[in-house]
Amino acid sequence: MQTYWTNLTPQHRRSWLLVVVYVALLLAISWLDFGYNTAGQTVFRGILLGMLVFLVASGLSLIFGLLDVLNFAQGAFLLIGAYVGYDIYHSLDASVEVRFLAAIGGGVLLVAAIGAVMEAGLIRPLYERPIFQIVLTFGLAAIFLDFVERIYGRNPKQPLSPPPLLNEKFTLFQQSLSVYRLFIIGLGLAMMIGVYILLNRTRIGIIIRAGVQDPEMVQALGINVRRVFTLVFILGSALAALGGIALVPYQGATLEMGNQFLILAIVVVVIGGMGSYEGTAVASIVVGLTRAVAEQLSLEHFDAPVLAETSILLLMIAVLLVQPSGLFGRGE
Amino acid sequence: MIERTVYRTIDRIGDPALRRAAESLARLVLENWFYALVVLVLWQFPAIVADLSGSEVTPRRPTGESAFWQSEMARALVLACLAMSYNLLFGYNGIISFGHALFFGAGGYITFILLARVDQSYQQEALIAVLAVVLALAILTRITARRLVTLALGGVLLVLLLVPNTPGMTFYQAAALAVLGSIGLSLISGVVTLRLRGIYFTMFTLALAEMFFVLAKSGTFRNVTGAEDGLGFGDLLPAALNPTPTGDGSRLQMYRVTIVFFVIVFLAIRRYLNSPVGRVIVAIRENEERARTIGYNTFFYKLLTMIFAGVIATLSGVLFVIWATDKRVHPEMLSLKFTVDPLLHTLIGGVGTLTGPVVAALGLILGETYLRNETFTLETEVLGLVPLWQFAVGLIAALLILFLRRTLRPAIHRLAGDGGRWSVLGAYLALWIVVSAAGLVAGGQVVPDLDLQDEVFDVSDLWDLFLGIVFVIVVMLLPHGIVGTWNRFWITRRIRRMERALQREKAP
Amino acid sequence: MSEQMHLLEGRGLTKEFGGLVAVSGVDIRVRQGDLHSIIGPNGAGKTTLFNLLTGNLPPTRGQVLFKGQDITGEPLYRRVHLGIGRSFQITNIFPNLTVLENVRLAAQAMGGDSAKFWWHFRRFKQYEVAALDAIAQVGLGDKVGIPARILPHGDQRKLELAILLASDAELLLLDEPTAGMATEQVPVLIETIQRIQQATHKTIMLVEHNMNVVMNISDRITVMHQGEVLAEGTPQEITRNETVQKAYLGELYGDFAEMMGGEAP
Repeated sequence: MQTYWTNLTPQHRRSWLLVVVYVALLLAISWLDFGYNTAGQTVFRGILLGMLVFLVASGLSLIFGLLDVLNFAQGAFLLIGAYVGYDIYHSLDASVEVRFLAAIGGGVLLVAAIGAVMEAGLIRPLYERPIFQIVLTFGLAAIFLDFVERIYGRNPKQPLSPPPLLNEKFTLFQQSLSVYRLFIIGLGLAMMIGVYILLNRTRIGIIIRAGVQDPEMVQALGINVRRVFTLVFILGSALAALGGIALVPYQGATLEMGNQFLILAIVVVVIGGMGSYEGTAVASIVVGLTRAVAEQLSLEHFDAPVLAETSILLLMIAVLLVQPSGLFGRGE
Repeated sequence: MIERTVYRTIDRIGDPALRRAAESLARLVLENWFYALVVLVLWQFPAIVADLSGSEVTPRRPTGESAFWQSEMARALVLACLAMSYNLLFGYNGIISFGHALFFGAGGYITFILLARVDQSYQQEALIAVLAVVLALAILTRITARRLVTLALGGVLLVLLLVPNTPGMTFYQAAALAVLGSIGLSLISGVVTLRLRGIYFTMFTLALAEMFFVLAKSGTFRNVTGAEDGLGFGDLLPAALNPTPTGDGSRLQMYRVTIVFFVIVFLAIRRYLNSPVGRVIVAIRENEERARTIGYNTFFYKLLTMIFAGVIATLSGVLFVIWATDKRVHPEMLSLKFTVDPLLHTLIGGVGTLTGPVVAALGLILGETYLRNETFTLETEVLGLVPLWQFAVGLIAALLILFLRRTLRPAIHRLAGDGGRWSVLGAYLALWIVVSAAGLVAGGQVVPDLDLQDEVFDVSDLWDLFLGIVFVIVVMLLPHGIVGTWNRFWITRRIRRMERALQREKAP
Repeated sequence: MSEQMHLLEGRGLTKEFGGLVAVSGVDIRVRQGDLHSIIGPNGAGKTTLFNLLTGNLPPTRGQVLFKGQDITGEPLYRRVHLGIGRSFQITNIFPNLTVLENVRLAAQAMGGDSAKFWWHFRRFKQYEVAALDAIAQVGLGDKVGIPARILPHGDQRKLELAILLASDAELLLLDEPTAGMATEQVPVLIETIQRIQQATHKTIMLVEHNMNVVMNISDRITVMHQGEVLAEGTPQEITRNETVQKAYLGELYGDFAEMMGGEAP
C-alpha cells in the first residue's frame, strides 16, 4: 500500500485526495439532508448503479487504452446482450436457474462473437485512420439499435424473475430489497477484481498493459499485438453484454438503455482518465453515487429532476477543468 | 479545353488594362459558372416542380407539390449550411466537436425566447451591464484608454441598436442578439475547451451540448423554453420572412431568402478558407506543432474558426426554425442528431471539400423526403428462391474462412498438395462447402422453417438502417467521401506526373 | 564577458521527465554571428536543450535569455516573432501543402496580415515574394508547386531550411539538419548552411551527432553528455580537450567514438 502511494505521480495523488474529499462530502450531504435511513438507501442505489456502469465502462476503457478506439457500439452491445438474454430466457423449456444461466452465457457469447467479427473485419482495416474508427462504431451502434428494434419491437420488455435464490428479500436501512441487487453488486465487484487480476497477474494481462503503454514496443518483442487487440475487444464487448443481461431482471429491457449507459460510461471513462483501469473503477463508484444523491436531492427539494439529469455532465465538466486528462489519465 | 482557348484569346488583347480586366472577368466566370448554374436551377426550382406536377408556385393554402418541395429544399439548404460549418471545423481545421448542435439550437432558442418572452424593455439594464464590463476591464486589466473608449462606445451603440427602449423587440434584433450570444458561447467554451487534447475535447463538447439539451427539455424552465413541447412562436415572424403559404407569394419569397443565405454562407466559407486565416487553419490541421513553431498562435486561429462556424450554425438554426411547419422551437435542435447529421454529411460528401457536405446533405435529405412515403414488397417467391438464413450461413462461413486465413493456411496447403494456385482455391472452396453444410445442418435444427410470406417494408422505417449501411460502406470503401474521391482522382494523377518528373530528374 | 554580445543565453537549464533528468544545469551562451554547434551522443540531451531554448518544452528550472531579456515564460509562437527560428530533427513540414505554401506560411506568420479573414490571400503578394526568395536560396526553385510529401528526403531538409529563412529569424536553431540524409548529400547541405550564414550574417545554432560534419564550419562547439556540458570552446580547443580526448579514446564513454566519426573500439 505504501509503495503504491509513493509510486503515484503527484497529479494522481491529488486525484485520490479529491475523490476521497468529494465522496466524503456526498456522504455528509446525504446524511445531513436525508437522514440516516434514506441516506443509506441512496448510497446503496449509487453503488449499485456504479457497478452496472462499471461493466460497460471497463470495456470501453480497456478498448480505448489499447486500441485508441472510443467504441460507441458499447451501448449497443449492452442492448443486444439484454434482449438476446431475455429471448433465450423465455424460449427455453427448463428450470429458472438453467434458463437464467443460459441467458447470461448465450448473450455474452453472441456479443463476444459480434465483437470479434467487428474488430477483425471492420475496425482492423482502419487502424491508419483513427477518426474513422470512432465514427464507424457510431454508425454500427445505430445499425445494431435498428436491428434490435426490428427483431424485438419497440415495446419495453418486463423484468425477468431471477432464480428463487436471488429473488428473496432482505431489509437494509428499513427498505425491503431483492437479493438480486446484492448479486449485481457482487457481480460488479467480482468483475472488478477479476479483470484486475487478469491485468496484473497473468501473462496476457501484462502484455495488454504493456500494449496500452506502447503497442509498437510490444510488437517489437515478437508478440502479435493484433491478436491481443481482438482479445481485448472481445473482452470489452462481453463485459458490456454481461451488464446488459444483469440489468434485465432489475429493470427490464428498453431500447433506450443502451444509450443511457453509454453516456454514463463515457462520462466515467473521461472522468477516470482514458485507458486507466483504476480510474474507471473509482470513477464508476463516484458517478453512481453522484447520480443517486442528485436524484434524491431533486426529489426532496426541487419539483423537476434537472439536477439529477445534469449532475453527471456537470461533474465531468468540473473534473476536466481541474484535470484536463481525467483523474488518473496519462498526463501530457 | 475551353479554358485554354479563352485565355489564349484574351492574351491577344493589346491594351494591358483591358486585358487584365478581361482576364479577371474570365477567371470569375470560368471558376464559378458551375455554381452559378446550380444557383439558377435552385432559383427556378419551384417553377420547375410546378410545371412538372401541375401545381401552383404560390398556392393560397399549404398544399401542392411546389409548395411542399419549396419547404423541403429550403430545409435541406439550411442543413447543408450547417454541414458546411461543421466541415469547416472538422475537415479544414481538424477540430472534432460533438457539440455543434449547441450552436444550431442556440440560434433557434435565443432568437425566439427573446422574441416570445421579452415583454419589457431592458435597455437601461443592458447599458448598465456594458458600462460595468468596461469599468471592470479598466480596473482589472491594463487595457489602453483608447481601446477602452472604443469598446465602451461600441457596446453602447450595439445596445442602442439591438435592445429597444420599448417593450419587446423585432425579429432582426433578436436574431442579431442570438449571433452575439453564439459568439459569446464560442468564446467561453473555446477558451475552456481548446486546451483539452483529442478525445477529451470531443467528450467535453458532447457533455456541454447534452447539458443544454437536458435543460431545454426539463420541466423546470417550462415557462421559458416550453420543455418537451418546444417553444411556440405563433405568428411573431415578420411578414417578409413568413413561409406560410397565403397566396401572396410569401413562401416563395422566403425560399429565395434561404437561397441567398445559402449562397452567402458558401461564399463566406470559401473566402474564409482562401484568406490568410484559412491557409493557417489548414496548416494547423496538417501539423499543429509546426504551425506554432513558425510563429502562429494556433489557439487564436482555432478559436476564430470556432466562432465563425458557430455563427453560421446559429444563423442556420434561426432559418431552420422559420421553416418549421408547426411554428415551434423543439429541444431536438440541441440533441446529438444535429451534430451527427452534419458529421455524416461531411463524411459522406467528403471531409475537407467545399461542396462535399452540400452534395451529401441535399442528396440524403431530399432523398429521404422523396422516398418517405414509398413502400416496397419482397414477394414470397423471392424469399423462397433465396432462403435468407441459408444464404447467411454461407456468407458467415466465407467470412470466417477469410478472417482465419492465416491460421488455416498450413492446413489448406497440406490439403492442396503441390497443385498450385487452383488447387489452393479448390481447397478453400471445399472447406467452405464443408463449413456451410455443417452450418446448414446445425441451422436447420435451430430454425426448422421460416415463415414465408409477402413482406411489405415501409421505406421511412428502413431509412435509418439504410443510412447506417451507406455510412459504413462509405467509411470503409470511400474514405474521402463522394466529392473527396472525385477530387483525389484528379489530384493523384497530377501528383503521379510530378513524382515521375522527380524520378526522371534523379535518374541521370 | 567576451567582446561580442550574447544573443541567446541559457542559465542553469534543467528538465526532468518524471524522475529522469534529461538536461541538468546547463549554462550556454551563443554569441551574435557565430555558428555554434552542440555535439554529443544519442541521449545526451541535445534536442531537449533545444526544446527548452525554443519553448517547445517548459524548463523545470533555469532561465532563457534572448538579447539579455528573460523569455523563459514566453510561449513558443511569440519567440518566433522575437527572432528565434528552429528546424526539427525529424522532418517536420506540412506534408500535403506545396513547397511554396509551406514557406509562404512561414513568411506570412511574420507579417501582421494573418488574421485578415476577409481578403483573399493572394492579395498579400509580399509573402509569396519572400517565400520564393527563400526557396531559391536553398535551391528548390524548380519545385515550388510540388506537395512537400513527395519530395525526396534531402529536399525536405532543404525545405525546412527555407521555412526558417522565410521566418527571417536572427537566430536559427537547426536540430540535426543532416539526419537521415544520404552520406553524399550531407556536404551539400552543410555548404548551403555555411553559404547562408556568410551571406546573411545570421547566428546559427546547430545540433550534430557527428563531429566531423561541423568541425570545419563551427565558430564554437559545446560537447554534451548525459544532460551536462562536458566541454565548450573553439573546434581546436575541443580537439585538444583532455576530457573529450579521453572520451574519444573510449576510456570514459564507449559511444563517443562513434560520435567523433570513428569506429567503436
